[in-house]
Amino acid sequence: MTTPVLPENVLQASGVIAGAEWITVNRENVREVMRALKSQGFESYLFMTCVDHLATPVVEKPPARFELVYQLRDMRAHRELRVRVFVPEDDPTASSLHDIYAPANWDERETWDLFGITFEGHPDLKRILMPDDWVGHPLRRDFPVGGEPVDFSDDHETWQTAPPEA
Amino acid sequence: MADTELEQTQTQGITITRGERRGLHGELLTVNFGPQHPSTHGVLRLVVDLDGETIRRVEPVIGYLHTGIEKQMEALRWQQGVVLTDRHDYLSPPINNLAYALAVEQLMGVEAPPRAQGLRVLMSELTRISSHLIWLGTSGIELGAMGIFMYCLRDREKIMDLNEEISGFRMHTSYIRPGGVMADATPRFLDLLDALIREMPSNIDQYEDLLTRNPIFQERTQGIGMLSREDAIRLGATGPMIRGSGLPWDLRRDRPYCGYDTYDWEVAVETGCDCYARYLVRIKELRESVRILRQALDRLPSGPVNVDDRKMLPPPREELETSMEAIIHHFKLFTEGYSPPPGDVYVAVESGRGENGCYIVSDGTHKPRRVKFRSASFVNLQALEHMAMGSMLADFIAIIGTADTVLGDCDR
Repeated sequence: MTTPVLPENVLQASGVIAGAEWITVNRENVREVMRALKSQGFESYLFMTCVDHLATPVVEKPPARFELVYQLRDMRAHRELRVRVFVPEDDPTASSLHDIYAPANWDERETWDLFGITFEGHPDLKRILMPDDWVGHPLRRDFPVGGEPVDFSDDHETWQTAPPEA
Repeated sequence: MADTELEQTQTQGITITRGERRGLHGELLTVNFGPQHPSTHGVLRLVVDLDGETIRRVEPVIGYLHTGIEKQMEALRWQQGVVLTDRHDYLSPPINNLAYALAVEQLMGVEAPPRAQGLRVLMSELTRISSHLIWLGTSGIELGAMGIFMYCLRDREKIMDLNEEISGFRMHTSYIRPGGVMADATPRFLDLLDALIREMPSNIDQYEDLLTRNPIFQERTQGIGMLSREDAIRLGATGPMIRGSGLPWDLRRDRPYCGYDTYDWEVAVETGCDCYARYLVRIKELRESVRILRQALDRLPSGPVNVDDRKMLPPPREELETSMEAIIHHFKLFTEGYSPPPGDVYVAVESGRGENGCYIVSDGTHKPRRVKFRSASFVNLQALEHMAMGSMLADFIAIIGTADTVLGDCDR
C-alpha cells in the first residue's frame, strides 16, 4: 500500500498493528495533516478518542501521557488509517478539527469532558456526557473508579481513592 | 447563533425573542423538547428554535443515559467486559458483543471456529431484525399508525424467546464472547429459528401492507428530513441513514467479518434521501436478514463453538476431574484472566443503526487500558440539525424517528 503524501517534517513514526496502518504526527501540524489526508480520499472520519498512558507498564514508553487517536477511512479504496497525536500532561491542548471533519465536533467535546484536553478553535467546548456542574475528567486514569458516598456505609472512603494500578 | 441584538422575554419557562429575525409574528420561540418526551426514543433533550412552526435551530443535549461503561470496563478483566457491552445499545446486545469479541480476538491473534462464526451470524441477523422491528413499531406509533406496533412486537417476542433458548437471557444475552460463543445452539433453538424464518417473509408483507402504500404515512415521510449523499458522508452518517441517501455502504459487504462475504445477499439502498427512503431501506434489510438467516442455518458447520485455547477459555467440566493442568488453567482464568499483548485495535461491525465499532488498547495486563465504543447513534444524531433545519415541528417527530438513535448507545 502506498503511504499518503504528508506535509514535510510532520511524521514522527508509522507502522502497522494487527493489519491496521497508523502514523504519528506532530501535535502542531495535525490540521494540515488532516487536510492533506482528506484531499487524498480519507473523507470519512470514524471517531477520535484519547488514551491515558499514565503509569503504563508497557516497556516502550509512549512519548507523552495523552494520546489522541483519529480513525479515518477511505470508502472508495476500502482503506483505513489511524492518526496518533501525543499530548503532554502539562499542556493538554490540541487543535480542533470541527471545520475539517464535521463529526469531530462532538468527539472533541467528549474528549474535553472525559479527559480534560482543550481543543483550540472549537466553537462550543462544553460538557456533553457528564452533568454541567461535574468536577474533574472521569476517564483519566487517576480519577477513581469508586462509587458515590452512600449514607450509613463505612467503606465509601476506600472507594474514592484511586486503585493502585491507576 | 448570536442573539445579542434580539430582545428576550421569559414567560413560564418559554423564551420569546423579538427582533431582527422575523417569522410568522416576528417571534422566535425557544422550546425545550424532551428529555421525557415519548417520541425521543429514550431520554434525548432537544432545544429547538421555532419561527412560527418552522425549525430554525436544533441543539441536541445528550448525556442523560451516561453510565460510564468505558470507565467501568477499565476496571474489569477482558472476559468480564462482555456483560457491559450488552448494555450500551440495549436494542442490539449480540452485535455489541460481536464488536468487542472480534477486537479482543484480533489482539490475541485467534479466530473463532467455523460453527461459532455461523452462530454469530445467526445471532447478529436476529438482532438486526428485532432492532428494526422496535424501530418500525415505535416510529409507526409516532406517525399515528397504531396497529403496526402490535405486529412488530408480536414477531420481536419470538426473537426474544430464541435469545432465551440459546443463552438463558431475553435481552442482555452476553452470548458472543471472545474466543467463540457462550454455548452451542440447542436443537429446539434451531427448530424455532427455522419456523421463524419460514413465517417472516409473510410477516414483513403485513408490515408493508400497513405502511408502504399508506397515503398518510407517505405524506408524513416523503420529502421530509432530506439528507443528501454528500452531506451524509460529510456528517459521518452510517447505516440506513447513508444507504437511504443512495450510498451502498455496508460493513458486512465492504469490510466483511464472520464470513458475511460468503452469503448471497444484497445491500439495501434507496436514493430518496428522505424519511420514506430510510423506512424502505430498513424494510429491505429485514428481508435480506431473513435471506442470510436461511443460508446460515442451512449450512451451519458442525464442530466446536470455542477456540481450543486453555489460556483464553476454561477447560470442559469433565477435564477438571482428571487433569491437574485443567484445574490450574481454570484457576488462573477466573482469578487473573488472560492478557493480550500490548497494542491497539479497531473493529467495526454493522449494527441496525450503522457502524458499531470497538477500539481497544491493551497495555499487556489482564485489564484493558482503554475501551472506546464508536457508536452509530452518537454520530448520526449530529446530522439531526441538518435534516430538521427549515422543516415543520410536526415533521421533526418523523425525522427523529428515522434517525433511529438509541440513547444508551449514544451516551454509553
